Amino acid sequence: MSTSNFVRQGFPIWLLAVLLTGCTTTTVDEFRQGETGIESHEAIVILGRRQGSTYETREEFVNCVGERVSRGSGAIRVIPEKEFVDSLFPWFEPRTAPLRTSDLQTLMEEQVVADKIEEYGVRYIVWVDGQTETTNRTGSISCAVGPGGGGCFGFGSWEDDSNFDARVWDVSSFANVGTISTDATGQSYVPAVVVPIPLIARVEANACSSLATQLQQFVNGD
Amino acid sequence: MFAVTGKRKQSGARSLRALLLVGVLTLLSACGASSLVVEGSYPTPAVRKIPLALGLYLDEDLRNFLYIEYTETGAEEYRVSSGQTHVQMFSTLLPAMFERVQVLESMDDAAGAGVDAVFAPSIEEFQLALPQKTRLDSYEVWVKYNMRLLGPDGAYIADWVLTSYGKTPMEGLLSVEGGINEATVSALRDLASNFTLSFGAVPEVRDWLASRQNVVSNQ
Repeated sequence: MSTSNFVRQGFPIWLLAVLLTGCTTTTVDEFRQGETGIESHEAIVILGRRQGSTYETREEFVNCVGERVSRGSGAIRVIPEKEFVDSLFPWFEPRTAPLRTSDLQTLMEEQVVADKIEEYGVRYIVWVDGQTETTNRTGSISCAVGPGGGGCFGFGSWEDDSNFDARVWDVSSFANVGTISTDATGQSYVPAVVVPIPLIARVEANACSSLATQLQQFVNGD
Repeated sequence: MFAVTGKRKQSGARSLRALLLVGVLTLLSACGASSLVVEGSYPTPAVRKIPLALGLYLDEDLRNFLYIEYTETGAEEYRVSSGQTHVQMFSTLLPAMFERVQVLESMDDAAGAGVDAVFAPSIEEFQLALPQKTRLDSYEVWVKYNMRLLGPDGAYIADWVLTSYGKTPMEGLLSVEGGINEATVSALRDLASNFTLSFGAVPEVRDWLASRQNVVSNQ
């Protein structure tokens, strides 16, 4: 697309997309406990923690992180979560998954498990734990339809807060080599004057993107 | 002229009757219980096989297990059939755990089947929690089983209780039936994992396995 074409066609779409997106603030923390690095024949698996009674790490978020880690210049081979968990059934179910690195060491004494993990070439197991909470819902929108047409009037807003941790276990040394935490918050608004205009903050998407970028660098040892 | 008018009247009456019938059927279907046959798939366990032959006896009650969820007024709301998915789960699970599994049509067939023991599970309780009733954002299923391990002659070996739990979030689900299905499959998966890993740890089963291994090693 030429510059003049972009100004005429692309820019209004880009501007609309920016205007329709609420503001998000993202913070990423890294805590390194050991050396990392990965060979081209090795892979990682990203698994969601689902032991909690109040929440479960969403599969969609885990897949999002995995998909982003496996692309770009520092791309890492990622084993899909479902494929790995099904293949190693019943060892990585919510009730049976290892909670500590010492549990992983015990688990690897099962020849069937050790063989499967070696077959996949898994060097690191990444445990993602967290959720997105919606708070501070305020405002209201009323809509009405009549013979002459319809419309909405009002204002609504809410705050989303995504908190996720990724713990990285080195399968070769049974050690926790580090933790990456991400915290993203954002306010979404929906003003409605005849037509509701949603200005949605992409909080979880930003948390996924930040966590994946940091995780990729961490595993590559950058 | 009269004949034409009469036909028009007849045709109008027929249309009205058809419309009434459709209306009544729609009202009846809205009042009736929604039926659901649970469908799902279960992974094969990655475990060491126990070098024994097991008979699997799933009785009529389990094969046709039906749970009915009632409304607060006592009317049938959902009829959940999970018998066939239980059959599918046990048929996937047990051949991965034992060297040989023989499905038995009746307990009387056990003696001539050349098996070391017969496994006969039953469902004691099934509970369903719907978001519209619990005000939570997930569908939940809780099942209580009675697991029985018998000798080929029907003698008692072990009898123990296992519970399983499954839940699925409302988010992304298109229907209540879909939520019930996912939560039930999740509960059965939980049962499969728990059963696989705890089977050898049940005291009576552990003793029986030890005695069978002694018999095998002495032969």
